Amino acid sequence: MIIVIDGINQDKFKDVLDEMFKLRARVFGDRLGWDVNIKDGRERDHFDDLHPAHVVSINDSGDVVGCMRLLQTTGPHMLSDVFHSILDGDAPIRSSQVWEATRFCVDTKKLGRGRGENSVSYVTSEVMIGSFEYAKAAGVLDSIAVIDPVMNRVLQRSGNAPYDYLGTAKPMGKVVAMAALMDCSDERISGIRDYASIEHDVFLSDEEALELCARTKVQEKPGVANFDHQPLTRLEKYFVEQMNSATTKDEVDAVLRLIETLSDRFTPEQKTALLRTPRAFANEA
Amino acid sequence: MKLIDLAALDHEERSTADIINSVCDELGFDYASYATLNPMKGDVQGYANYPDEWKIHYGSHGFHHFDPTIYQSVLSIAPVDWGRFNHDEKFNAVFRDANDFGITPRGLTVPVRGPYGECGLLNVTRDCSDAEWEKMKKHVMGDLQMAAVHAHDTVMQSGVLAKALYLPSLSTREKEILQWVAEGKSQQDIGDILSISHRTVEVHMRSGREKLGALTTAQAIGRAIGFGLIAPG
Repeated sequence: MIIVIDGINQDKFKDVLDEMFKLRARVFGDRLGWDVNIKDGRERDHFDDLHPAHVVSINDSGDVVGCMRLLQTTGPHMLSDVFHSILDGDAPIRSSQVWEATRFCVDTKKLGRGRGENSVSYVTSEVMIGSFEYAKAAGVLDSIAVIDPVMNRVLQRSGNAPYDYLGTAKPMGKVVAMAALMDCSDERISGIRDYASIEHDVFLSDEEALELCARTKVQEKPGVANFDHQPLTRLEKYFVEQMNSATTKDEVDAVLRLIETLSDRFTPEQKTALLRTPRAFANEA
Repeated sequence: MKLIDLAALDHEERSTADIINSVCDELGFDYASYATLNPMKGDVQGYANYPDEWKIHYGSHGFHHFDPTIYQSVLSIAPVDWGRFNHDEKFNAVFRDANDFGITPRGLTVPVRGPYGECGLLNVTRDCSDAEWEKMKKHVMGDLQMAAVHAHDTVMQSGVLAKALYLPSLSTREKEILQWVAEGKSQQDIGDILSISHRTVEVHMRSGREKLGALTTAQAIGRAIGFGLIAPG
């Protein structure tokens, strides 16, 4: 489902935004090798300080699985201020009815192949539908997206091919960046909806989104390993500590294996509690 | 922080008034207004076709210090339906009073951002049913976007802002120094010419930059020439 986070409701969705900046760091920094600034595992630039609209896709567990950033082309934006070389020296488009889309990404780790709800393809379409519908309701007619050739092919394959490109594709560090034009029309939106078989309203209201986040957070809360408030044994304490300091999936798996191996040392209740404790961490990794 | 009614200043802004009035006449709104925040002084300037009694009440009660249709709407890139402020105490404070002047809380604000990050706001209201409002929004949003940018550009280019705020604020020394910079002189040169230390030159230059809302000296020179404060070098 889609949440639109702007400068007005950003305080309500601090955690979601934080997850989104982490996702952007993993995708643009780690996976794609773009020349972006990453601090504390989060990718942010100064356009994020100009109150853009973030179109964010979250799954049923409340995890951020996709996002896109929208800016007005009348104001400072990436094509006018950063990617101007793409335009071959031409002035950038400045129009209240054209928005710029940047930082479009999905979480390929959490999402699978195929076309189902938790697939890369589905979330890609969902973010595009959310962005186009949000823009259209704002009276915006076109969007200009700064993308790389890989994303360009994804768009062409998913019933959402750009209708034109501005300037010429230019190498930017390790990747090639291009400026693709897409209309925010009913035809395009229904094309993407048909391709992804998405018929429902993709937007969550602020209240619904907050409720989803609150619900999933309670479930994931690691807490302590004993639900009956018995003092923790030294062994239990050890496992909780290990789990808290585990930073990679391998380390988490190693702790889980150790709990399994030593399971004859504690009661079945203790074991269940211990195994539930790290769930949230396993997701985190 | 002042509330400046641009209509009272100069004949040039009449075109802004025309835009505001035509938004009401052609798109079917009750009232429309345009406002912009001055980035340096925090003043709110604008034009509105609200009844004069409401404009006076609004200003004298200092609503422009906290009205969320101004301060929240600049945080959005999309037009902001005032329905988003339903639970906002500040909004309710303003529009409880507005109601007494026959002004509905049903409205929206179209934020415009300019290339320097400056923001203008076009506000429209219409007293009507939910269904009518939703239908109307779909129909006129594109036109509102164009009207908003038109109103913003008119105010920005009319020089009303410059006359109201920018021009009186530059000191002779600041102008003098910016003029020498435009002639290609270094900070040290200017200090020698004016018989002041280069550090003083720097202080005046910094102040001049801030008054012009410029980040760099080059930008300040550009704006100063644009406003006719100094001559091209």
